[in-house]
Amino acid sequence: MKANELHPPHWPRRVLRWFHPEETLEEVEGDLDELYAYWYQRAGKQQATWRYLLNVLSVLPPFVKQRQRKNKYHQPSLIQPSMFRNYLTITLRTLAHNKVYSAINVIGLSIGLAAAMLIMLYTKDEVSFDQFHANNPHIYRITSKSITPEGAENVDGNTGHFQGPKFSAGVPEIRAFVRYKADRRDIKKGTEVKSYESFVADSSFFSIFSFPLRSGNPKTALNAPKSVVISEKMAEQHFGTTEALGKTLLVKDSFGEGNQFEPYTVTGVSKNCPQNSSIKFDVLFPNVVSKQEIESNENWFNVFQNTFVVLQPTADLKKVEATMNRIYLADAKEAIKMMAEKYGDKNKVVYAFQPFTDMHLSKDLPAQNGLQDSSNPMFSYILSGIALFILLIACINFVNLTVARSLKRAKEIGVRKVVGGGRGQLIMQFLGESFILCFAAFAFALALLQLVLPIFNELSNKALSFSYLFDFELVLGYIGLFIATGLLAGFYPALVLSNYSPVQTLYSRFNLSGKNYLQKGLVVLQFSLASFLTIATLTIYSQFNYLTNKHLGYNDKNIITIGKSHMSRNEAKLLKEELLKSPHIVDVAPKNGGSWGTIAKVNGETQQSFAYETVDATYFPLLQIPILKGRNFSADFPSDSTKAVLVNETFVKKVGWKKPLGQVVNFWYNEGEKYTVIGVVKDHHFEPLNAEIKPQLFTMKPSNLYGKVFIKIKPGTETASLRHLEKTYKKLFPINPYEYTFMDEENIKRYEAEAKWKQIMLFGAILTIFISCIGLFGLATLSAERRTKEIGIRKVLGASVASITTLLSADFLKLVSFSFIFAFPAAYFAIKEWLQNYPYRIDISAWTFAIAAVLSILIAFFTVSFQSIRAAMSNPVKSLKTE
Amino acid sequence: MRRTYLGEFEEVVLLMVAILDGEAYGVTVSQALEEHTGRIVTFGTVHNTLIRLEEKGFVSSQLGGATNERGGRRKRIFQATALGNRALQEIQQLRHELWQMMPPTKLRLTGL
Repeated sequence: MKANELHPPHWPRRVLRWFHPEETLEEVEGDLDELYAYWYQRAGKQQATWRYLLNVLSVLPPFVKQRQRKNKYHQPSLIQPSMFRNYLTITLRTLAHNKVYSAINVIGLSIGLAAAMLIMLYTKDEVSFDQFHANNPHIYRITSKSITPEGAENVDGNTGHFQGPKFSAGVPEIRAFVRYKADRRDIKKGTEVKSYESFVADSSFFSIFSFPLRSGNPKTALNAPKSVVISEKMAEQHFGTTEALGKTLLVKDSFGEGNQFEPYTVTGVSKNCPQNSSIKFDVLFPNVVSKQEIESNENWFNVFQNTFVVLQPTADLKKVEATMNRIYLADAKEAIKMMAEKYGDKNKVVYAFQPFTDMHLSKDLPAQNGLQDSSNPMFSYILSGIALFILLIACINFVNLTVARSLKRAKEIGVRKVVGGGRGQLIMQFLGESFILCFAAFAFALALLQLVLPIFNELSNKALSFSYLFDFELVLGYIGLFIATGLLAGFYPALVLSNYSPVQTLYSRFNLSGKNYLQKGLVVLQFSLASFLTIATLTIYSQFNYLTNKHLGYNDKNIITIGKSHMSRNEAKLLKEELLKSPHIVDVAPKNGGSWGTIAKVNGETQQSFAYETVDATYFPLLQIPILKGRNFSADFPSDSTKAVLVNETFVKKVGWKKPLGQVVNFWYNEGEKYTVIGVVKDHHFEPLNAEIKPQLFTMKPSNLYGKVFIKIKPGTETASLRHLEKTYKKLFPINPYEYTFMDEENIKRYEAEAKWKQIMLFGAILTIFISCIGLFGLATLSAERRTKEIGIRKVLGASVASITTLLSADFLKLVSFSFIFAFPAAYFAIKEWLQNYPYRIDISAWTFAIAAVLSILIAFFTVSFQSIRAAMSNPVKSLKTE
Repeated sequence: MRRTYLGEFEEVVLLMVAILDGEAYGVTVSQALEEHTGRIVTFGTVHNTLIRLEEKGFVSSQLGGATNERGGRRKRIFQATALGNRALQEIQQLRHELWQMMPPTKLRLTGL
């Protein structure tokens, strides 16, 4: 039997051809065929096939040894100074010769790098929040979780007077505790009174938290009741010097009786709090708990401040939490029983710990109530996402342009190879080029960063500074980023370019093989990202517009609000009379300050919680809030002030009244306090539109103090009205701080977060589109150059400028259109998810998508057509003459 | 003298190449191994060993002419080099000397 009549199985042979080193393939394949025939003769087909498989396997990598080439020349080391000089010369020459290409790459990469660096800076700041305390990670905040009998849970980061001292007395693992809360107080300087955001803390404050004192004893600074610790900034502001130890501040306790200013001694001047701290105080008072407050065990349920504890490093959290809850149940037993009897409150309370450093980025228990700058981690994710997009798109530009342009450099590569340049050297050269470009981009990025940092700080509510850039970890990060970008952008082109066969390139027979799916794919990816961001931006814009332009149910135009806490009926009356003396002021309506919430029995049994507002009869007409049923409060009915209430529509709906007028509302804390509903007002958005309308109830109860005054002025009289207002206020309330706001401005301020999102997304979208487009521009330029001859011939044969422009643009526009297939669904789901956060929101409309699509196509068209038209208009004689 | 390192399998393969004298290539070496030593090894082992022997300079190789038998594929013929021959001789000699040093009774005791 002849060997060539026997056919070893086909597919192992194919595997062999694929994987076996090319050099020894022929001989090995022949040997194996011969052996197959030998085995076939000796042991039959099955045996032979089996052994053939096994033996093929034995000559596949990694088992097979590679035969060294006989004709291998000595390759000098890749790191040769003289070659380096050559690479550098060539690189600089190439870059100088291709200015458009170099500019596109450097601009793109520097924007991408700057964005990435900025986000690293931001993230570093976020992560380092509150990390500077020496007692970390053993500082915890006591949290309370109340569970209703139905099982609904509500977590709260706030606690009261008792949790700190009682738990720390009963649990040996708790080394120390401190209670901390915000408390606005008025401080007098000369004759001027200003209201300050102040804070109150226990004397252990400075031993638990690492806020260094410039002067004063940290152990005793907060011991005396009439002492105060101020920051350098405050000392500078108030005394003009940081040497303020022992000086006195005149302070009025906002909750204290009377209008007395009392002297407080400065017992410490602290360094200004770091900007990445949840605790930021300028004025810090000692915590004074009255005897009454300590004696009533009901204060277990009065929560209004943050309590922090320091645990022993060895403490077992679960155990400590269990002990804590045992102490609570034992100590508050009577109080719990009483609550259940008196108010029917059957909620169960469970205490737990939250690590202090988790607070800043927490969603459930954010840093609130005197703690500042809690941050939504979503913000970090989205910012990082955008930065990554931008950097990625810049790298894609680099890859695309370099590969597309490589056709022009094919000859150079061919010559290098012919004179003995190895693949490694070529890879080195092209990677080196990408690194040089990347380095230039890096330098620009630093300059750019310096430029945009103030804007970014404004947007992200941060105080990041350029000097943070020199933080060791960040510098390492930047170096990493630089190398990663250089590799990302340069690696693929280097591999492709170094693989060109010299024979083909030197005979000019060279063309990019295949249909260049990679380049097309990358363009599609770029524009998918860009359209995605465009759609997101448009949506955020419409939602923001909706929020700021939605009719609130009342008229906020030409209304000035001023705050004055604890204003009695008489004071309000006096103020109104005085203010109305000015012809510019239309009307004045006082209201309680802040938000009060309470519960009442309606229909005899049901408990209904609602926002409890105290107003007067002018309030509804002044704000133009319609009364749907019944009537407004009126001076004609003297009983209105004590016996009547108005409710809003939501209240009626929640309670389920068919005929609301005449219904009785009984306040839960007082059996005797019963009101009759005399009217229903239209629902209006008193809270930001991020929240649903709550049930509201309005009274005129005389004992409730006012805290806020609405003043309606004639349009265009702002200056005169404000002058009159300030004069009157200062005359009537000389020791109260005077602050005013325009209500419509105040209402817009509520959407600061949305406004910031809007800006950030807009910047992101513009940058991505811009960088994508410059990439497209580069590709179009190269494609037009490559097709010069084709265009020349077409023109000679009579093609019009328009038809040639269409021809050249169509390819790219197809890709851009194709990108919508990916961008639309992704954007749809993303914005749908985002809009879920708003109870009052726009509908997702097809228009958003259509506008984004048209926008992308138009921008892409302008980008591409610029080059296309130029190519189409060029004189065919020029391009064809050289042939 | 430069020591020559030759593994046991390498030595056997080198011997086969010397024995086959101008007829040694992958197939014949494999077959001879199977026939004369009873060892069945994969082709890859033989192939790799031949390449290694060549790298060490014990054998040299040349691509032979194409034959119809192998579907027109050429075979690589191996030949022992002078260094290879010398290495084999040295090994032989070393073994011989060592044999001489063994006490005669030892062999009998182990049943030989």
